[in-house]
Amino acid sequence: MKKIIAGVLVAVLWFAVVITYTVIATKADDDEDAHEFTILTVKEETVKDYNNMPVFKDLARKTGKDVYWTYNTSLQYSNNTDPVGTKGIDAIYHSGFSNLQLYNYGRSGRIAAINKYLENDKVMPNLYKILQDRPDIAEALKSPDNNIYSLPRVEEMGLKAHPNLLFINKVWVEKLINGGNLSEVDITKDDLKDGLQLTRNEFKIILQKFNDFDMDGDGSTTNEVPLSFVSGNWQGNESDLIASFGVPENTEHKTIVNDKITFTIESEKWFNAVYELNDWYNRGLIRSSAFTQEQDEFLAKGQDGRYGAFYWWEKETVVKKSLQDNYIMMQALTDENGNSYVGMSNELEIEKGECVILSSCKDIAGLLSYFDKFFEPVYSAQINYGSIDSGAFEKYKEGEMLIPNDDHGEQSADDFRMKNAPYGVVYLPQDVWDNEIQMESRAKLRLERLDVYLQNNAFDNIKSIPNLNYEKDELDTLNRYENSLGKNITSWFTTRVTAKSAPTLSDWQNFLKTNSASISQVKSVNQAAYDRYLQATQNRA
Amino acid sequence: MENNQVANTPPSALLENNDLLIEQAYEQLAGGATENAGDVKNNKTPTKWEKWKENFKRRGWILVFILPALIYILIFCYGPMYGIVVAFQDYQPGNDIIGPDTVWVGFKNFEDFFSDPNFGSYFLNTFLLCILGFIVGFPLPIIVALLLNSVRPKKIKKGLQILYYAPHFISLVVLVGMMKLIFGSDGLLDQLSIKLGGDAQGLQLFLKAEAFRPLFIFSGNWQDFGWSAIIYLAALSGVDPALHEAAKVDGASRFRRIFSVDLPAILPTIVMLMILSVGNLMSCGYEKVLLMQTDGNISTSEILSTYVYGGLMKGQYGLSTASGLFNSVINVALLIIANFTSKKLANQSMW
Repeated sequence: MKKIIAGVLVAVLWFAVVITYTVIATKADDDEDAHEFTILTVKEETVKDYNNMPVFKDLARKTGKDVYWTYNTSLQYSNNTDPVGTKGIDAIYHSGFSNLQLYNYGRSGRIAAINKYLENDKVMPNLYKILQDRPDIAEALKSPDNNIYSLPRVEEMGLKAHPNLLFINKVWVEKLINGGNLSEVDITKDDLKDGLQLTRNEFKIILQKFNDFDMDGDGSTTNEVPLSFVSGNWQGNESDLIASFGVPENTEHKTIVNDKITFTIESEKWFNAVYELNDWYNRGLIRSSAFTQEQDEFLAKGQDGRYGAFYWWEKETVVKKSLQDNYIMMQALTDENGNSYVGMSNELEIEKGECVILSSCKDIAGLLSYFDKFFEPVYSAQINYGSIDSGAFEKYKEGEMLIPNDDHGEQSADDFRMKNAPYGVVYLPQDVWDNEIQMESRAKLRLERLDVYLQNNAFDNIKSIPNLNYEKDELDTLNRYENSLGKNITSWFTTRVTAKSAPTLSDWQNFLKTNSASISQVKSVNQAAYDRYLQATQNRA
Repeated sequence: MENNQVANTPPSALLENNDLLIEQAYEQLAGGATENAGDVKNNKTPTKWEKWKENFKRRGWILVFILPALIYILIFCYGPMYGIVVAFQDYQPGNDIIGPDTVWVGFKNFEDFFSDPNFGSYFLNTFLLCILGFIVGFPLPIIVALLLNSVRPKKIKKGLQILYYAPHFISLVVLVGMMKLIFGSDGLLDQLSIKLGGDAQGLQLFLKAEAFRPLFIFSGNWQDFGWSAIIYLAALSGVDPALHEAAKVDGASRFRRIFSVDLPAILPTIVMLMILSVGNLMSCGYEKVLLMQTDGNISTSEILSTYVYGGLMKGQYGLSTASGLFNSVINVALLIIANFTSKKLANQSMW
């Protein structure tokens, strides 16, 4: 009996091996169909096959290139330690390579430097013109050896620098006013509409009431969340709350003030903010979950309207449809003089590493001339939102503006875009939005909201840190110091805000002192690179 | 029946008996040889080498049985080991590990690692987490095994044992998920403490740097003490009942018998396992630490292995390998020290 079982087991195993082998072998054969170019892209299974997307068929027709797309899902791709080594591909789309990775792959000669194709307008007329007009993009693309190893993605809507908006639960405030519980704050029911202006102290008083009273009427005063956000997240973080103390905070705690790289943590205003947040925390106005939750958890908890106020990109994703009218958008919190202070994030609208060409590609110029078409507005738009032929835009006539189609029947606009748009290499600067393509209604709405949110912003001398071009030893220095410094700041900030006792001035000074070496190293490297950037962009401009 | 059994005795057993006899004969010969060494030099007495050769010819085929294990270890443990030279290189994936284009950088990766401003704290965190885990986690299964062994009703003993080792089969992700539900933000413990009139935020154990080690160690032990006790229980089942009976006759209490009969019986197992776990002292896995890490507890939860992981994620292969190698060197040193000490003190050792 045992022998039989063992025999069967061995046979099953053997078959499994044989079958897997044949499957892999036949699959490999499929991919080796004779195509002029094969490009590896990163996409999820739910996204339509690039080979069947009308926009790519159209591109192939226009350029006369025969391009075949293979793909990895993002999980497969992130587990792939050497995507550049994938057999039989000529380029990687959505490569997502960092500065350091681009430089490393470039100097070992595995991905192609494309600058020699950009010296004139023969191969890539569109990108050539863009780089001539926009020295900042040209500068952003460079690697430490002054080569360009990747094609950029530029989408300038002016949205990313301010990834937070502040929303408050209008119904709860109304309830407080009706109950006569809000006499400390000078506010009437008529004020409760988008653009509500409150000082930070008034806001604090209201949050305190949210905490003390049974706002949702379920008989318990403990399950309301007065203020929520996701600490350190790229959107909907605490930066603007800290900035309201007069320091241009962002999640990297690093920004440009009057053309000087500045760490916000060195300002005493930053310490004041930590001190005050600690008080808010201990009063229960901010729950600890703000510091432990991830984005998905935050969104799930918000659907039923349990938040008194929250920071996020937009309210539509946080609260379910039937409760969205309960929330109104506020201006950024102001001081007693009516000034507000909002920092700028370092999320950039120029992204490098979007697409790389492998050195093994037999006709680099040919492939680049194909990609050059991507930078034309009509193609950029389709790559970003979905093909015209699949209904992403309303009817298009040459010479008129492209108008996005928001009505996709059962599907939400977001779902449609996820499935139909490949994203990636595009060039959509401000004047394209003005003249060629109409923005989606969501983007337009957010721009309008940002105008209101920032109307009293008193900062006029701060900038986001652009894509800087570091030298090799500067990259080494950053690698050595930036990682541990970032961890130390996050750790100090979180533990001090969530401590039972208030942080002391000497504690903060000690913290700065122990990290002073890292701070000054990172600052001087950034400053040197930024000075070069200024010079390069001003000389060419 | 009886005959049948004799007939069924495997030939290898007979062979072994046969070998034993031959060996004894050899030994007698050898003994004779040393006695007469002065008289006759050119005797036919086999030297050690000849004896080994003879032995190998006769029984060498048995070695085939350990061949699969040996091959496995060579391929999967020793084979990949040449990769540690990456620690001395400026390596990027796709490069040849040893080839004409390899960029050798000497000890630069180690210098970078040691000069990381947080190196001291990573090292201390690793050390404390592991040593505390060892102090709590090592004796626990021994105590449990001794206690379980003295439970008399078989059914209760088996029941308890299953109850104790069942948590071992919970996956780490699920375990940390459970811990977050109980100890995390808005978790069971916090809700309770708020209901009982504690302050508005509850205890917030996951945000407290000082709570990380206890949470990590106690959850780890809760999960594994029953499992680790199995090997001691196995050793205890080999204790001769006659010893216990004799002790009973001498009037030894149950407690006395645990100390004087059971404990000495499993001492060799204890020592061996101790040497092995000292050799692993500096290597706590990074998975659970990463799962439990929050912005609040990062000052105690960032350890060497999570640092290695972070480096790999950022493409710093050389640096990560260097720090991993450093960790392994410490482990080997600890192993040697532990083995040496136990050899001296308890006359028990691995080699």
